[in-house]
Amino acid sequence: MKFRIYRYNPETDSEAVMQEYILEDITPGMMLRDALLRIKEEQDETLSFRHSCGEGVCGSDAININGHNGLGCITPVSELKEPVDIRPLPGRPVVRDLVVDMSQFYHHYRSVKPYLTVYEPEPEVEYLQSPEDRDKLDGLYECILCGCCTTACPSFWWNPDKFRGPAALLQAARFIEDSRDQATAERLEDLEGPYRMFRCHTIMNCADACPKGLNPTEAIGRIKQRMLKDQS
Amino acid sequence: MNHLLSGMKAWLVQRLSAVYMTIFTVATVITLATVPIAGYQDWLVLMSQPLVAAACALFVIALLLHAWIGIRDVILDYVTNLGIRLLLLSLLGAWLMLLALWSIRILLRVTT
Repeated sequence: MKFRIYRYNPETDSEAVMQEYILEDITPGMMLRDALLRIKEEQDETLSFRHSCGEGVCGSDAININGHNGLGCITPVSELKEPVDIRPLPGRPVVRDLVVDMSQFYHHYRSVKPYLTVYEPEPEVEYLQSPEDRDKLDGLYECILCGCCTTACPSFWWNPDKFRGPAALLQAARFIEDSRDQATAERLEDLEGPYRMFRCHTIMNCADACPKGLNPTEAIGRIKQRMLKDQS
Repeated sequence: MNHLLSGMKAWLVQRLSAVYMTIFTVATVITLATVPIAGYQDWLVLMSQPLVAAACALFVIALLLHAWIGIRDVILDYVTNLGIRLLLLSLLGAWLMLLALWSIRILLRVTT
């Protein structure tokens, strides 16, 4: 099976090249991460990429596979069209080969204050939440922060410094929807203005790219509805 | 003008204006299909009705606001140089203002 992998070392290379590798003996059920590990082990140990859990939970091995962002560890090699083009996540500075600098992504994540904010005294035992209120968090809390959605979003490519991006906005929605959170007004106020949230034009690349099947576009829609309700 | 109509307000105005323009377009097609118009005099009679004139004026306002928000969004997305962005936004604002004045003149001439 033929792979073409993006190779670039900013310290020594003047430009990136797509290097070809041929991998024989593809085993049934083999995931792309396994293929990359075998290439690194058997053919070229200088190939750099991130990976960790190997089961789609840690979000480390997000890469661009044949033009589509996804996780290497849960992408079966047998489903890919040859030659398999593997590139780093689009729009991010490359550190080495498939490893990109995600600082800005984490900056936006931090900016939405992704933690419960409570002003009243803490309850003695635990925070209570009705099953109905808990259900509102489904489809929001499962995000693994791999960055597939945000780096697939054209609005993020155009304004990466100001637009929060789908992943951070999904997290914002997760805490806005949480019945236990008491900073809803501040959260909504923070997302006002032309850039932070309203750069989203419902392109829906985020929902298409999410390896966990989440829908950040819909979450952003929920934030807008909440804003509308709060204003009227 | 950039800050007068931004964020939630701009988003809402864009959607409301779209809804109004859709209704207006359908109403216009139905009116043109049912009211016989032979010449300028018929046009004048139709347009001088207060309801028609008001609906047209509202349509012009909706169209201009919708265009301002929509094209401004495109400029904010694609033009990163602040100087060029300001220039384009000014040109857009001036052009839409000109269209507004022109529309007011037409509507006033027909209705009075």
